[in-house]
Amino acid sequence: MDALLESLTTIGRIFFDVEKMSQALPIVLSAFPVSVFIGVVSFVLAIPGGLLLAFMKMARTRVVRWPATFYVDVVRGTPLFLQILIVYFGLTLLPFYQTLIREVPQLKQPFLFGIDFTIYLRAFFVLSFNSAAYMAEIFRAGIQSIPKGQMEAARSLGMSTPQAMAFVIIPQTVRRILPTLMSEFILLFKDTALLAAVGVAEMTLRSREFVASTFNQSAYMVAAAFYLLVTIPLGRLVGRLEDKLAESEGGGGAKRPPTLLAPEIDAEHVVAHSEGIPTTGSSPNPITGGPR
Amino acid sequence: MSDQAIVRINDLRKSFGDLEVLKGVDLEVTKGEVVVILGPSGSGKSTLLRCVNRLEEPTGGEVWFEDTLVNDKKTDINKVRERIGMVFQSFNLFPHLTAKGNVMLAQQKVLKRDKATAAEVAVRQLTRVGLADKIDYYPAQLSGGQQQRVAIARALAMDPHVMLFDEATSALDPELVRGVLDVMRSLAKAGMTMMVVTHEMGFARDVADRVVFMDEGVIVEQGTPSEVFDNPKSERTKDFLGHIA
Ligand SMILES: Nc1ncnc2c1ncn2[C@@H]1O[C@H](COP(=O)(O)OP(=O)(O)O)[C@@H](O)[C@H]1O
Ligand SMILES: [Mg+2]
Repeated sequence: MDALLESLTTIGRIFFDVEKMSQALPIVLSAFPVSVFIGVVSFVLAIPGGLLLAFMKMARTRVVRWPATFYVDVVRGTPLFLQILIVYFGLTLLPFYQTLIREVPQLKQPFLFGIDFTIYLRAFFVLSFNSAAYMAEIFRAGIQSIPKGQMEAARSLGMSTPQAMAFVIIPQTVRRILPTLMSEFILLFKDTALLAAVGVAEMTLRSREFVASTFNQSAYMVAAAFYLLVTIPLGRLVGRLEDKLAESEGGGGAKRPPTLLAPEIDAEHVVAHSEGIPTTGSSPNPITGGPR
Repeated sequence: MSDQAIVRINDLRKSFGDLEVLKGVDLEVTKGEVVVILGPSGSGKSTLLRCVNRLEEPTGGEVWFEDTLVNDKKTDINKVRERIGMVFQSFNLFPHLTAKGNVMLAQQKVLKRDKATAAEVAVRQLTRVGLADKIDYYPAQLSGGQQQRVAIARALAMDPHVMLFDEATSALDPELVRGVLDVMRSLAKAGMTMMVVTHEMGFARDVADRVVFMDEGVIVEQGTPSEVFDNPKSERTKDFLGHIA
């Protein structure tokens, strides 16, 4: 009994030291906007890229399809961490990048939250290019989940294919993939932590610095709390959106598949991801609720 | 050939891979005429209708709509489709739009009508199909019969010169069929040119100016309803009508 109490106290001291936590709080808090900013901007930038890749993958001609397939396979088939290392250190070696820095020295000035713009630039670059590959599959599966009759009805009314896409197919796709897309954001947001390894002063790096100087793990718990502050409410929202979607798709005249996306896509996505996702836990959809 | 012909189909052929589905169909539909197409499942009725607005690409022959060769690569197919209304078995309403939104969309995007005009036409057409009280409902909130009537209104709003109906009532519960057939009946009475694929023999008898019987990708027999129903010449027609009755 005493031994148990003792080990609990030890765990408490190592991980949940109140004093250390309160010291770490302002430090992690100051890095919180960095993580959120990088996550949000990269996510937004990934959307057009993902759409483009999705349309390329659905193209009739192989010449268009092939590069997109190659890109998606390579990006999803290699570790994000490796991609981060390549971009962070490789990009700076490229002549065009060096010219850019020389011509626009302001890029090296502190931008937001005391971090220079080239750091953000590389973070956006690698995360959005990575996320676009995952989004491509989400968009493609979403678009293809819309019944064929929708396109036919639109075309039979005289709409062009782009018009039918813009006013009939995409609006329905957006509603359908919104939960999945939000889950993708959750994954991306957590992935910003990997940037700690290349010196981006986001939450994980700042807490690691604190841990290193205090020999106490408590700062990590503070960081964890801040990640959860974003991921848990978003995860709940995902679950709610899915329920609402299931409810509202009762009509429309055409039969719909019971799950959001085709099963083979789910399997692919799950295999391609490699770490856990703390979302609703009750989500029936392997993409939105599954491991990455 | 009558210069009143709205749709003229000459030796139309369509194959899916090795499967020849239409094996040389000739058919002419004149202005104001209601042509009902009958035939067993798989005989090519849907494919025939879908070739008229080129939802299927014919593999041979000609499809004319008024003065336009529909299956000419140079034809602007969207211009043709503006004037050919189509009603599908599965309704295919746009589920993210209300009944009114469904009827307005193509008016605005294709005919470039302004919003007020499109809305006015939408309300008029929805009223015409008996849904004046449902204009702000989403498809999911409507019965199958109501959805199909919205789909008809959506097609009518484009001022089509011909309407294609592909088994418009086949997906409906029996008690909802009447309402849709009544709308089609009144359309016919109002002089709309119609090509109707249906299994509703009562409708065919009452409304059709001409009944066309198809089997295995060809037109086997055609004539007035009484010619075809009361005095079928072909064994295949007799057989089919015998099964239906
Ligand atoms: N897109 C398609 N691909 C392959 N075969 C098709 C396709 N559409 C129709 N068919 C085939 O063509 C034949 C005629 O179909 P359809 O025109 O739908 O007949 P109906 O409407 O008279 O029942 C059927 O054998 C059907 O399986
Ligand atoms: Mg059919």
